[in-house]
Formats: sequence, C-alpha cells, structure tokens
Amino acid sequence: MDIDETHTPNVVYAETAQHRTAWWLTAPALCLMILILLVPVVIAGILSFTDYSLGNDTFNWVGAKNYDRLFSSSTYEKMFIATFTYVVTVVPLSVGLGLGAALLINSMGRIGDIYKTIYFLPVMATLLAMAIAWEFMLHPSIGMVNRTLEMSCGTVLEFIPFLKNGCAERFPLWLGDRDYAIWVICFIGVWQGFGFNMVLYLAGLTSVHRELYHAAEMDGAKSAWEGFRLVTWPALGPTTVFVVTISCIRAFQVFDTIEAFWPQGGGPNKSTYVMMFAIFEKGIQQNLIGIGSAITVLFLVFVMFLTLIQRWLVERKVHY
Amino acid sequence: MADLQIDHVTKTFGDTQVLKGISLDIADGEFVSLVGPSGCGKSTLLRIIAGLESQSSGAIRIQGQDVSGVRAADRNLSMVFQSYALYPHLTVAENISVPLKMRQLSSLQRLPVIGAFMPGAHEKNAEIAASVKHAAQTLEIDRLLNRKPGQLSGGQRQRVALGRALVREPAAFLLDEPLSNLDAKLRVQTRTEIAELHRRLGATFVYVTHDQVEAMTMSSRIAVMMGGEILQCDVPDEVYNNPLDIRVAEFIGSPKINILPVEASNGGLRFGDVVLPTVAPKMLKGPIRIGLRPEGLRLAAEDAVLTGQVMHVENLGSEIFAQINLPGHDGRITMRASPAQRNSLHIGANIGLAFEGRAALLFDPNGKRVFNPQVDPVQSEVA
Amino acid sequence: MTRDLWKHLILIFGALIVIAPFYMMISYSFKSPGEIDRGEGGFFGRQEMMVDERCVKLRDPDRDDVATAAPRFPNQTDRQIRDALVAEAVADCQMRPIVFNYTKAFTEAPLLRYLLNGVIVTASIFLIQIVVALPAAYALAKLKFWGREAVFSIVLFCLLIPVHAIALPLYIMLAKVGLTNTYAALVVPWTISVFGIFLMRQFFMTVPDDLIDAARMDGMGELAIVWRVMLPTAIPALLAFAIFSVVAHWNDYFWPRIVVTGNRDLFTPPLGLREFKGDGDGSFFGPMMATATVIVTPLIVAFLVAQRRFIEGITLSGMK
Repeated sequence: MDIDETHTPNVVYAETAQHRTAWWLTAPALCLMILILLVPVVIAGILSFTDYSLGNDTFNWVGAKNYDRLFSSSTYEKMFIATFTYVVTVVPLSVGLGLGAALLINSMGRIGDIYKTIYFLPVMATLLAMAIAWEFMLHPSIGMVNRTLEMSCGTVLEFIPFLKNGCAERFPLWLGDRDYAIWVICFIGVWQGFGFNMVLYLAGLTSVHRELYHAAEMDGAKSAWEGFRLVTWPALGPTTVFVVTISCIRAFQVFDTIEAFWPQGGGPNKSTYVMMFAIFEKGIQQNLIGIGSAITVLFLVFVMFLTLIQRWLVERKVHY
Repeated sequence: MADLQIDHVTKTFGDTQVLKGISLDIADGEFVSLVGPSGCGKSTLLRIIAGLESQSSGAIRIQGQDVSGVRAADRNLSMVFQSYALYPHLTVAENISVPLKMRQLSSLQRLPVIGAFMPGAHEKNAEIAASVKHAAQTLEIDRLLNRKPGQLSGGQRQRVALGRALVREPAAFLLDEPLSNLDAKLRVQTRTEIAELHRRLGATFVYVTHDQVEAMTMSSRIAVMMGGEILQCDVPDEVYNNPLDIRVAEFIGSPKINILPVEASNGGLRFGDVVLPTVAPKMLKGPIRIGLRPEGLRLAAEDAVLTGQVMHVENLGSEIFAQINLPGHDGRITMRASPAQRNSLHIGANIGLAFEGRAALLFDPNGKRVFNPQVDPVQSEVA
Repeated sequence: MTRDLWKHLILIFGALIVIAPFYMMISYSFKSPGEIDRGEGGFFGRQEMMVDERCVKLRDPDRDDVATAAPRFPNQTDRQIRDALVAEAVADCQMRPIVFNYTKAFTEAPLLRYLLNGVIVTASIFLIQIVVALPAAYALAKLKFWGREAVFSIVLFCLLIPVHAIALPLYIMLAKVGLTNTYAALVVPWTISVFGIFLMRQFFMTVPDDLIDAARMDGMGELAIVWRVMLPTAIPALLAFAIFSVVAHWNDYFWPRIVVTGNRDLFTPPLGLREFKGDGDGSFFGPMMATATVIVTPLIVAFLVAQRRFIEGITLSGMK
C-alpha cells in the first residue's frame, strides 16, 4: 500500500476497495469458466446416467447402463482399440521424430532453419484441407503414393515383399482397406504433429547451457552419446514430459482426418472409430445423448489423468 | 601433477587473430594467472589448453608431451567454469562423482539401475563414494551432498564445482573466472580459500580472471594479456613495480596509475614548463609518457614539483585518495594520502605535489618501457 | 563433412514427405481434370485451353435464343444458327485450367463469405479472450484479495478440460437456449481461455510491483492500470497468444461442424471445404484443391513472413 500509514481508516478503506476491484476484474472470467467449462462437465456426468435426447422434455434415469454398454458392445470395443492404437502409435513416433529432427537441426547451424520451417508447415496448415490433399495422394489409382510405388515395379526394389505383392496384384486401397486405414490415420497424425514437438525440443535445446557440454567433456564424456546422456537428455526432461502429455491429449482428440475420409461410420469395419468421432456420431448425429455423455466422461477421465501425471512429474523435478 | 608448456599458440576466427603466438612455460605446482580485459583472448587460451578448442598453430605440451589432437576428455585436466556448469538433475554427490564414473566405470557399469549389478561395479562405486566424501570434506560441503544445484547458494555451487575438479588428481587445474559470479564479500573469502587449496595440493593452477586484484593476491606469476598477446609474465611484485608496457602499468593497480605526457631532452624531462626531478636516458628525445603510482606522490610545500587543485576526495578510512586537476592537463591525477593529511585536502584547495625521481616509470611513444638510469642502471644500459 | 551429408540426406527425405501433400494440393489447383486423371503435366500443368462443360450446358441455346440471334446470321437455317451459337458458347467458355479452378472455387460456393466468417469468428474469439482474461490475470497476479487462491485453483483445474471434449454438453446447452446456427455458437465456448489467463498471470508475475505502485501514485485506477500499463508491457506475450489463438480457431473443424448445420452463411473455411468435397463430382478435384489452397494460404504466408513469432506463439504452451 502506498498510502501513508498514519491514516489507518484510509488504509482499511483502500484494502476493501482493492478487494472489490479485484473481484470485479476476475468476475467475468470466473463466471465464464464456471458456465462454459465446469457446468458442462457436471451436465455430462449427470446425463451419462440418463436416456436423454434433445427434443424430449423428460428423461429416465438408467443407472450405469450407458457405461455397461460402453464396456460390453463390440462397437465400443472397436472404439477403444482404435483410439488406443492411434495414441500408442502417434505419441512415441511424433515425439521421437520431433526429438530426432530437433537434434539434427540443432547440430547444423543456420542451414537447419530451412528444415525447421518445412517441418513446421503441417502444424500451421488447416488439417481438414490437408486431409483432403492426403486423400488424393492416397487415391488407389490416380494417387501420387501408388503411382510412386508403381515406379518401383520392374526395378531391383521389387525384392521387398510389399512392393512385389503390389506390383503382382495391386497396391493397397489405403483408406478403403481395413488393415491399412488406421495406420494411414496414424501416419497423418505423425506427419502433422512431429513438427510441433520438434520446435518444443528446439526451444528446450537452446536452454541447455553450452558450458555443461564442455564440463561433460572435461569430466571424461568421450562420445556424443555420452554427452547426450549426461547433459542433453536430462536437460530435456521437463520438455519431454510436456511434449508427451500434449501429444497424448492431441492424439486423443483426433477427429478431422477421420470425419473427412469417412463421414459415416468411422472407416472400413469401424477400424478408425475413435472416441471423438463416437461422441460426434452418437451424441450429435444420432441424438443418443446418454451414451455420448458417457463417452465424454470417459474421455475427460483419460485426459485429466494424463495431465495430472504430467503435473506430478514436473513437480517432482522442480528442484533443478 | 605436471608442468604445462604453451608453445607459439595462435588462434584465428575467420579474419581475426585472437591469439598471436602465445608462449608460456608453467612449472609444476605453479599458480599462474592469465589476466586482461575482456576480449583479450585469455579464455580462449585456457580453452585451448583444456582441449575444448583447437589452436590454429603451435603446440600445448603437458609434462613434455604434445597434446594437440588429444580430446579434452583424455588430457587429464580439471576445469572450473565461470557458470560452474553443474549438472542440474544430479545431486551434489553425483555431480562430484561424474569425472570418476566416466573414467573408472565401463559403459555397462554406468547403465541406470542394472549398471550397479554388473561385475565389479559394487567395489568401484564404493571407492568413488569414498573419494567424493573426501573431496566434500576438504571443501566443507559434506552436509550438502544430497541436495541438487538448484537448492544451493552461489558460493556453495562454486565449492561443488571446485569439488568436481579436485575429486580426481588431474595434471593441472584450469579455472575460468570462478569468482566472477560471487558477491564481493564472498569473493574475498573464496580468494583466500583457493590460494590455500593450491598451497595444500601443490598442484599446477592456471587461473583466468579480468580482476587484477585476484591475480595479484593469489598467483605465483601473472601473465598480463592484451590483444591476443602476453605483454608481461612475472611475479606480482615485478608486474606492479616494473611494468614493461604502459598498458600493463595501466591495467595493474587500483586506483589506476597516473599517466602524464612529458617532453624528453638531454637526459631531462619537462611537464609543460616544469622540469621534473627524473633523469632520462640521454638518447630519449621528444614527447614520451611517464607513469606515477598514486602512492608515489606526496603533498609538498616548498619543494613542490607540480601544483593543482583538489577536485574530489575519497576517504576510505585507512587512506585517502584525492583527485587533483593539474593546469594544462586534461584529466585528473590521483594521489594517495594518509588520513592525517585530511585537513589540507579539502575540495578546491590548491596544493603542491612532489615525487621521487625514481618513482616515475618512463614509456616511449610506442608505450614500451624505457628504463630509468636512476632505478636500474644495468637495464638502462641494456636498453 | 560426410556426417553432415548424412544428416542432410535424412532431413531432406523427411522434408519431401512433409512437403508432398502441399505440392500436390497446389499442383492440382493448377491442372485441368484430364491432367489430374492421367497424372501428367508436371507441377504447373500444360495450361492448355480447356472447355468448361457446365458453362456450355448453361448457355445451351433454346428456341428464343435462336430467334433473337437470327438477325446476326442472315440467310441461315435455325439449325445452323444454333450450331453457331453453341460454337460461340464453347469459345466463351474456354479458359486456362488455373483460371477455371480458382474462379470455380469462388463461384461454386461462397468462398469469400466463408473466409469472411473465418475472420469474424477468429477475431471475435481473440478479442473477447483478451478482454476477459487480461483483467483476471492481472488480479490473480498482482492484487491480494480474499479468495484469490480459490480462483486460481479453479483456473488450474479448468486447464485440465479440453473444450473439444465437452462439446456435447456445450452443444446441448446452446441448443436449449436456441443459439445453434449463430455466430454466437461459434464464438461463445472459446470466450474463456483458461490457458490465456494462466499464461498472462505468469507473465504479469514478472512485472515489477514498483511499476504498478508508480501508476497508482500517478492516480490510475485498477482498470486503467490493466489497459494502460499492463497491456502495453504484455504486448510480446499477447502477440504470441494471438498467433496461438488465431491458428487454433482458423483451423478448427470439429466445433463448427457440430454447431453449424446447413446454414451456409455461417460456414467457416474448413466447413466450406468439407461441403465442397461432399457434393463435388470427379471433375472438381481442381477447384477443390484451389479452395483448399486458398484456405491454407493465409496462415502459411503469415507464418513464412513472421516465422520466429509464429514458432514462439505456437510453442508458447510449452513454456513454464
């Protein structure tokens, strides 16, 4: 307080005034937070125990029936399989490639900036537009991918079984093939996401003190690998925790590509029926709010669990 | 422990030559300071000795053996960095043990978790733990062994960095401005401790600093570097009293030496119209400069050589520094006086100054020292 | 040197895969349908004149047209006049593929409207986010008031909730108040950026208290301090947040897909592209890719121009 201490009543007045302004300043944010973020979570929780649908005035409590269906029906089994396949594939690959690219680029000075720019392009681009571009690329007959693969026919590359089969019969349908669809989605997920991880790692790398590498050398670290183990990797610890968490959360939310490729049904044989798509299809399109809410609740549990793990890991390492 | 030999080392970055053929022999057990203003190449020289950078030409020899092309890790030198460069994720004990682990354990034994179960790892780890404890006790940081660097004060970190350097027995210790991140009080204290540590270990120390006080107080020898060259390398006393170059004279000593432009002719010197009590070599002619240490000047009445006006007085309690304006000379000169003379040194007072002829250091127009026949007849004849 | 060569080879291989869909998207937007089908014409296509079949069909002359055109063609039979008119139509409907693709992109669907919607939505979201978040962040960082810790823990909790995840309950709430298919529906859920509050609070914590006290001594009220002292100091952080927010909402597809159904006037660019794809036939690859290019270009160009800022903004979420 700047007010002269002798005027005690003024100080008290000023403090209550400050309290009031503080509340006025936070009130809009607080109201919106409650209304837009907290209330919907509660609503989702409540509705997941009902058979509510929009347009109906009433609803019935159905207990845990919605959750029962989630864990018993084969459709939802496919949903969990697709979601976890995607997360478990995309997260390590996009984190690993991001780290690899960051290390390579970081080691090569200014020329590396070109690669940085290129690798970051997919992060900026509208994913839906790029999904459509990929759909053309993967078109079974006129797509660039199969055309490129066809070029290898008749060359030495044909010893690779995949190419040999492709040349003998036909190359995969990619998006139309239940064995390939989910992997194509994963590939696009990695394609889009690793540049983001790369710049996070690059930012992390700039904060590594150069003298630490010299210290490691003086201490007897002879190879680049030993320097990485002793200095780089530990220094990137917090970055890695963050990158893995945010990659997980983003991976859980995959939707655009799947909706663009298969507006109905979640891919061949529901092989790409991920949770966000399920929420969209059940809750919005089919107006089955109860089951949609149940998926929403599960989704929130996964995501919150991940973030809490992240926070715990960061806090544990806070004394750096 | 070993001696170091720096033999005509040069270093060029692009077009600029940072080191212009440095030669320096450092005897076993010596404490040599490389001192100079920032950008003089002293840190580069230290890093070349360490093997963190390679010289453009010349050689570094440790114990007579040329180490050019030998990696830093294999030179068996210890270094204390300006930023301490402690591994932030490791505890103090782990930090100190790194140099031993990297050298004594195989890469399998260093693996996390399973490394401890590799044959022989247990004994070696016990040995290392003992060495770490010993080093920590030497530096009185054994209470801190389980903390991480982030939980330590600057002074404590500095000790951990020292501990990491002395936990093994290197050929020499290299210290790169290790005190520059400490506050003034701690710096004085640590100065003493490092000097004592050197005496106790009897090891070779190469110490880089920009602070001439550190260099003066700790070293057996000081190498004053400027513009990529060593201007003078000698014991502190000689560097202070007998600087060979005007830049050395100006760099060493606080407050700075007073430089006056004078005119030399026929073995005498004139400052403006005043004839100075200093004898110059006969062949010296034309404008030269002389250096007068603040403590070489004294207040004088009748025998005053110079007169001037007191502009500012700094009272340090045990001594007084007066800044005096001499007519016909831009810039002030500084004089040291005893507290007893405080009364005659009030601001604005006109005072007279005198000095012994031998107190003046003569520098030729190129800034090289000209020996004064009064001080050192032998050297003046050589010159 | 050889090691650097290997690095470059690896990075170039990655860059090719990253660039491929962009290359294809832009290339197809230049080419005629035939060239796309046959996969020829290099990057730009041959740019031979092509005939727009729909345009010709649209100008197919009927009896009246022939009658009105009769004076221009004296002494000719109706049949001849008709053929001449068709030939004229064909001549008029000839154009370069690149012109064809891009005009179709803008005329076949109201693309300009979509782009305008995109601008309106992203701009309103960002402005409201700032108006709400900045005062709250200031109060949380610099004012002492009863309940501050509680409000801040709500902020921390809300950081765990991705808005996409609670799309279903939000949609129900908006439907209940009759706001679906409005601009409000597109904007409202994003008005509160918990991340923005958190980020700005962290930033304001670093602003020295003395600056605020000085402003108070100069007679500013708390609200004036927010807008006249804190806002200008926070410009770099705000810019980064702006980029973060605009990129996210320009590219967002999931939320508009849910709340906007049918009403083309409210379509955001990704929705417009989706619609285009939905009713496009095979020959419309070119215009569709032109639309995709138009949608992706603004952000990509902005990114290439102000690369450092963009990367800063996008990686913002990674900073502590």
